Amino acid sequence: MSDLVNVSYLAVGPEILLTLGAVLVLMIDVFRQPSARVHAWIVAATILAATVVTWFQWDRVTGEGPFLAFSDMVVIDEYGVIASFILLLVGALGLAVAWGMVERLGRRGAEGIVLVFMAIAGFQFMAVSANLVMMFMGLEIASISLYVLAGITRERPEADEAALKYFLLGSFASAVFIYGVALAFAGTGGVSVYDIGAFLRGSVLLKPGVLLIGMALLITGLAFKLSAAPFHVWAPDTYQGSPAGIVGFMAAGAKVGAFAGLGRIVITAFPLYEAEWAVGLAILATISIATGTLLAIAQSDIRRLLAYSGVAHAGFILTGLTAGEAGMPAVWFYLAVYTVQLIGAFAVVAAVAGPTAAGSPMSDYEGLSRRSPFLAAVLALFMLAMSGVPLTAGFVGKFGAFAVAWRADFEWLVIVALVASVAGFFFYLRVIVLMYMREPAVAEAPGTMRARLEPVGALRWVLIISTAITLAFGIYPTPLLDLLSTALPF
Amino acid sequence: MDFPILAVLILLPATAAVIIALLPERRSEVILPVGVALSMLPVGLAGYLFFAFEKGEAGFQFVEKVAWYEPWGISWHLGVDGISLLLVVLTTILVPISLAASTAITDRLRMFVAMVLVLEAGLIGVFLSLDLFLFFVFFEVILIPMYFIIGIWGSERRIYAAVKFFIFTAFGSALMLAGIIAMALMHGDQTGQISFNYIDLLQLSMSSNTELWLFGAFALAFAIKVPLFPLHTWLPDAHVEAPTAGSVLLAGVLLKLGTYGLLRFNLPLFPEASVELVPVLAVVAVIGIIYGAIVAIVQPDLKKLVAYSSVSHLGFIVLGIFALTSQGLQGGVIQMVNHGITTGALFLLVGMIYERRHTKKIADFGGLARVMPVFAGIFLFTSFASIGLPGLNGFIGEFLVLLGSYTTLQPYAIIAAFGVVLAAVYLLWAYERVFTGPVTKPENEKLPDLGFREIAIMVPLIALMLFLGLYPKPALDRIAPSTERVLDRIEQVADFDVPEPGRLDDVFSGEAP
Repeated sequence: MSDLVNVSYLAVGPEILLTLGAVLVLMIDVFRQPSARVHAWIVAATILAATVVTWFQWDRVTGEGPFLAFSDMVVIDEYGVIASFILLLVGALGLAVAWGMVERLGRRGAEGIVLVFMAIAGFQFMAVSANLVMMFMGLEIASISLYVLAGITRERPEADEAALKYFLLGSFASAVFIYGVALAFAGTGGVSVYDIGAFLRGSVLLKPGVLLIGMALLITGLAFKLSAAPFHVWAPDTYQGSPAGIVGFMAAGAKVGAFAGLGRIVITAFPLYEAEWAVGLAILATISIATGTLLAIAQSDIRRLLAYSGVAHAGFILTGLTAGEAGMPAVWFYLAVYTVQLIGAFAVVAAVAGPTAAGSPMSDYEGLSRRSPFLAAVLALFMLAMSGVPLTAGFVGKFGAFAVAWRADFEWLVIVALVASVAGFFFYLRVIVLMYMREPAVAEAPGTMRARLEPVGALRWVLIISTAITLAFGIYPTPLLDLLSTALPF
Repeated sequence: MDFPILAVLILLPATAAVIIALLPERRSEVILPVGVALSMLPVGLAGYLFFAFEKGEAGFQFVEKVAWYEPWGISWHLGVDGISLLLVVLTTILVPISLAASTAITDRLRMFVAMVLVLEAGLIGVFLSLDLFLFFVFFEVILIPMYFIIGIWGSERRIYAAVKFFIFTAFGSALMLAGIIAMALMHGDQTGQISFNYIDLLQLSMSSNTELWLFGAFALAFAIKVPLFPLHTWLPDAHVEAPTAGSVLLAGVLLKLGTYGLLRFNLPLFPEASVELVPVLAVVAVIGIIYGAIVAIVQPDLKKLVAYSSVSHLGFIVLGIFALTSQGLQGGVIQMVNHGITTGALFLLVGMIYERRHTKKIADFGGLARVMPVFAGIFLFTSFASIGLPGLNGFIGEFLVLLGSYTTLQPYAIIAAFGVVLAAVYLLWAYERVFTGPVTKPENEKLPDLGFREIAIMVPLIALMLFLGLYPKPALDRIAPSTERVLDRIEQVADFDVPEPGRLDDVFSGEAP
């Protein structure tokens, strides 16, 4: 941790490449309007290049250990690199799902690509920042991109409403976060997570009130982003109103970025207050699990259902984080597989509703197994995985999170979470009931609703990949668990 | 490494399911025959297992162990002993029979056959798992195919029944998962290595309070599965709404997961708590026996009648297990098998008459013995087996259970004996109303008797009823050493002595275990 401006382009390589890709898409778009195929090549090349650089980062940290860069603003450790990998995967799958939307929106579609790139870069910055101000920058880059993405089909009033709600509540959350940064600075004199940690180890705070409030505000700000209750109210409306093609990415990316930031703050900056924040996270988890599960039961739109189930999942992941550093591998596993399931589920939603549509009433899913056996089967799998049925990755994720929390003496929380998991079957099974055990609704205009429905192109591949990941790591999770077992913050 | 026969036994039906799923849906006429043929393979393998099994050996045989995830102490650990052997054989036998009885199913047949085969893989997995994580995985996974079987191919209220079945059983197993995690971590605290291995967890030392809690967590999961009064309400719904194959497998095997779990996990892992809680379990078991039988008497629906008779019969099994005597445990195990055979047969018969008349109401029949003599004969024979007529299989199980529980739980055994009488009432009264007398309804006059396929389905079950009733020695010889070992463990760990006649050497074989 030197005071030099330790420049390392490797440290910010993926973000630079994503930004370059975004600029390239914009510039080409100014001079001539290329076909979607050209865009596809640029997207593929950018994500691939960013992945390769992230791989070099991985090579470096596993070989020589973690390193800091840019006046210790950025830290590259296994924790951050894993987050970058997951975000790139989420971004690639998310863009593939959104491709129908990109094509349909023409010039504005290119803007969609740019915004997704910027969002990935922002979330990656959150994961690798060693400094709370830097983390705030990442948070804002990503959040503003997502606000615009939510309203990208601006001629639809639902999308405008979704974007505005997301923007208002999101800005409020950002303000809360930055106020937390200020209070943490007031309490310790530092904004680097290492400075804060070192200060707290070196001195005894007789009145830690300001610092604890700062810590609570930091957690609250991020809780908004990961849609933990009671800070979740934006999620159902935003998921419902945004274009179908992009919701999966919005939901998944925000969860990964926010959890990466949250984990680093509590583990690296406030290890001495673990007793306090662990209980805080446990309470947050309980409220999220209860609220998400109970409200999901009453939904009549599958996107709202997924939004509330996402609230519950935020709670389950927080359950794993109550164990602190020991819980981090379980948290990563959960995030990696849950985000893939989420994008897969929203890919089905996009296939059923159309890529730019707002709203996906559950009645659209009646008899889906007859209209499209493939879509129904994969959506059933994702529902089962989210509910935590064994032989899917969702079970291993939940199992890991619950096991570490039990070990950290949060037995009551685990029992709450287990009971809620069972209650969760009510709404996950309802989707399966609709798809398999009811006949398709008789359409008013014959041939419209009952037509067979098959996903094509990129969407099909997203479904195949996310199904493969969900099943493979459900049956044999060992390689991924091994990989993640050392993904701890430096 | 030797031939992994147990792993193959689990993977064979799973592979068969994949093959069925790959068949073209257009050729629907070949799907069922191929399914039946493929499901005969596990029967052969299980038959081999039955004869290759060392008789005098109490421990686990054909053990396979491969690490799944070392840091968590999870492994693919399989083994078979006298308690699980017969249940595995029973499972493999019932699957082709229930598939062959499913000719009424035409909608999405491919998915149906695949689901039944997946269910079989899961069921065999439950019985063979020696790792609690693995056990839990199989225990949960079987809910999915059963849920689809009831929910897609069931009768009118199928969705309600499927969801109720799923939520009830999932709730029980959720708390069991907490118990399993707690035990594995306790092993980590005591030895430094987290382990889900059943053999390792037998070595745990825990306070009696902890033991009671863990016993409760496991017992609740199994009691819902059995189902014990008052947790049985999912069972009549699920049985009545399920298609015939679903009912047969549900009654024949799924319910046994509960009693199997009590015997395999609760008694050996928590011996002190088991001894302490014998009165509680005995009371609910006896309530189940009498309540199930009385409710069965008044049922107007044949399928519901058989469903409630299961509640009664399963009560006998639990009573036998918690009698904590040699005869009781052996009787419990053999009765699990018997109930699978006889109740499975009864559900098949009800299914056959339902396919002809599309009703299961007792009042809609009458005098069927004149129209369908073969059917009536088989029904009567099966009813006798279920009641426990000497010479048929039900007698062996119920006699051993009553003998064993008379030693330690005398008052309960006396009450339970009335259950046998009540069984005769509900089954024979139902027989009388359905089969005897003149044909009252014109619709019933032209009903065709059983065809060749239907008789072929029933023959193996009838043969088993006779064989186990006349010569149960091959079965008991394999069961006895393992049940004796459970008692040995309880006597060693839990300051408990089985009263003298309760540890007599095996009454039927006369051989020392």
